[in-house]
Amino acid sequence: MENIELALYPFVSEASRYVDSLNFSPDRLITSRALESARIRGTDRVIQSLAGNIEKPSFVASDEGKVLTELLSYPFARILVSCIDDQYLTRRYALAEAKASYELLKKESLDLLRYLGEDFSISATTDDTHLNLHFTDYLKLASPLKELEWKLVNRRMDHGHVRIAKENYARLLQEAIRKRILNGLPINVPPHMCGQCEDNLTVIRDILQKQKDDFDIGGFREVDNELFPPCIVHAIGNVRNGINLAHSMRFAKTSFLVAVGMSVNEVVDLFNVSPDFDEEKTRYQIEHIAGSSGTQYTPPSCSTMKTYGNCQGADELCKRIQHPLTYYRRKVWFKKRDGSRNTIKKDA
Amino acid sequence: MKEVIIKPCPSYINMKRSIQHIIPSTGVGVGGHDKMNQKTKRFLKLKFQEYYNSASIHLPPELASREWGFISFDQMPETIMRRHKSFGSPGEMRDYLSAMVPAHAYHSVAYYEYPNAPNMKEKHWQGADLIFDLDADHLPGAPESYADMLEHVKEEALKLLDFLINDFGIADNNITTVFSGGRGYHFHIINSSVRTLESAERREIVDYVSGRGFDMKHILGKKHVGGDAGRESAQVPGFPSEEEGGWPGRINRYIISYLSDVTDQENAIKILTDFEGIGKITAKRLIEAFNDPKMIAHMKKGNVSVLPTIRSNIFDVLASQAVDRTSAHVDEPVTADIKRLIRLPGSLHGGSGMRVTLLDNSKLEDFYPLSDAVVFSEKAVQLKVIRPFGVEMMGKELYVEEGVQQLPEYAAIYLMCRGAAEYGSY
Repeated sequence: MENIELALYPFVSEASRYVDSLNFSPDRLITSRALESARIRGTDRVIQSLAGNIEKPSFVASDEGKVLTELLSYPFARILVSCIDDQYLTRRYALAEAKASYELLKKESLDLLRYLGEDFSISATTDDTHLNLHFTDYLKLASPLKELEWKLVNRRMDHGHVRIAKENYARLLQEAIRKRILNGLPINVPPHMCGQCEDNLTVIRDILQKQKDDFDIGGFREVDNELFPPCIVHAIGNVRNGINLAHSMRFAKTSFLVAVGMSVNEVVDLFNVSPDFDEEKTRYQIEHIAGSSGTQYTPPSCSTMKTYGNCQGADELCKRIQHPLTYYRRKVWFKKRDGSRNTIKKDA
Repeated sequence: MKEVIIKPCPSYINMKRSIQHIIPSTGVGVGGHDKMNQKTKRFLKLKFQEYYNSASIHLPPELASREWGFISFDQMPETIMRRHKSFGSPGEMRDYLSAMVPAHAYHSVAYYEYPNAPNMKEKHWQGADLIFDLDADHLPGAPESYADMLEHVKEEALKLLDFLINDFGIADNNITTVFSGGRGYHFHIINSSVRTLESAERREIVDYVSGRGFDMKHILGKKHVGGDAGRESAQVPGFPSEEEGGWPGRINRYIISYLSDVTDQENAIKILTDFEGIGKITAKRLIEAFNDPKMIAHMKKGNVSVLPTIRSNIFDVLASQAVDRTSAHVDEPVTADIKRLIRLPGSLHGGSGMRVTLLDNSKLEDFYPLSDAVVFSEKAVQLKVIRPFGVEMMGKELYVEEGVQQLPEYAAIYLMCRGAAEYGSY
């Protein structure tokens, strides 16, 4: 890859090898006066990621200095994210980096896309307009994407190869990039180095805190079952009436309840009226979904719920959201807003 | 033959954690009666042992990385699984079968670093074959006789095989096709490319073959067609080409074969005009078109503009029909479970006494389990039938009433395994 491309896609292995070859130690990156612009850009990367959109520069061939700044700003941004080591920030950052790459990748050549794919161990072939990849690679990349169009059944596949348009391939790479960046964080930064970045870190921390306050992130405080989406209410009603739930709905209900903050015990109690209730088995399943094996499962999106016939009684709010958790989150927000309005009225 | 619903025990036992697991006794295990007397157990064990002394067992690749599980006759009617076993060599495995004579034998679809570790976490999962289970229980439709049920599930198996070979491009020698000994078929895909697929990814494969979540617009899409002077431009349904392969190709083949069949029939006009938006004139033109090989050649290439203008949703309707009729019904949880135990090909199914039979893919169509998976002899055996029972085996319809009687060994063993009879006369 050209240096310009390495600067635009700094997460590829070739870019990190190149940076290594330049011999900029982390110490130098943090302290060298000559690299002030890389630090400023690195800080911007993180701040922009919180707003959801990292802006990528465009270069001309003579921009060598700018290219280097852009390239080095990436390891600096990772140092900053690692020093703060906040899950919300890390996720936002990985997502924004990946999204920004997607916007560029859409316009790149098929060959560059194929080359980038190889960095993620995907061997694709290209024809004039499309890329072809093995279905196992496709599934690994596409399985986090929940919209129906990404289902394998809605793809063109012949003899094990999935044929995919450039833009779609770029979207799949976005997912792979996000995962790589996320899994690579936090890096181990010695405390004294974080200390040297304190000015940059303070700026980010302030914005992060403000954002968290605005969105009330940090989990739901207490579970308010009056605010559950209709599908979950329906499922709970069924369980109470002794109707057995389909496996997919059991999973949806349990993962939802765990996600909004119910304890395993509380969820077990909810199932306690099932006709085939087996406490030990139920507890095991719920603990599994709640993350006893290492992965906490997120509840399925609305489109998945629809696919499996589990979307029941959708209301007006459902039309505006894509995920049962968003429904709950919005309702909690509405309730809080209305509550504070009432308080204001009373005060008046 | 009377209608008899026969349900041998489940083809899989899925146990997530305990060393021993008791399968609920309703209708599973050995046939669902609550007794199997000592004499019957001894007899069955003896017969199974004779079989295992000279049986050809199909051992899974990387034998030493597999976990094994067995259910023995001794604790019946309770079905207690002894699992977390491992074998270092084929000889060890065969010796175990001959010595212990299990009623049911299973190996893991997974490869483990420590297959005999006492719990799943410590086994260190390294990958798993991709498995499909087609079970008569999971097919839509009314209960049928055992023989009809097995024919029905074989059709599904053939559909699945088509998906595996043509859509997924799996090489013939990477597909192990097995009759389960009970109500269906198992397919083991043994290939490094599928080994590390996770559950969600395997579920996507199930959704593909069963057409779940299929969205017509991704395949059929509407194509805008410019109108002639004075006519409005129309939206005609897009049409897939056979060459595209996969679902589009399958839909193309289905629609063309459906319409070719219909247009050959005497009441073709009636059938066609039953589709919304098709009048007699269009119907006649369609019939002409489908009697013209050149037109059909165009259609195969996805070119429907050669047809008379059709202002009907006929292609949409037929495409959904194609998805319904050509999809394969596989049991999703089995494929998604990457730690499952599956029956050992070449072993006997203790709920039927039939062989878990390895098949050549090309022979599947002509495979008749009720003859071809039978391993025991014609020799007469005396047994006491507990409840009336009917089954079609070795090309003969057997219907037995309660009481003491003689039956060929294979049928006697079948009835005993099913829990419908005890050995001897009292």
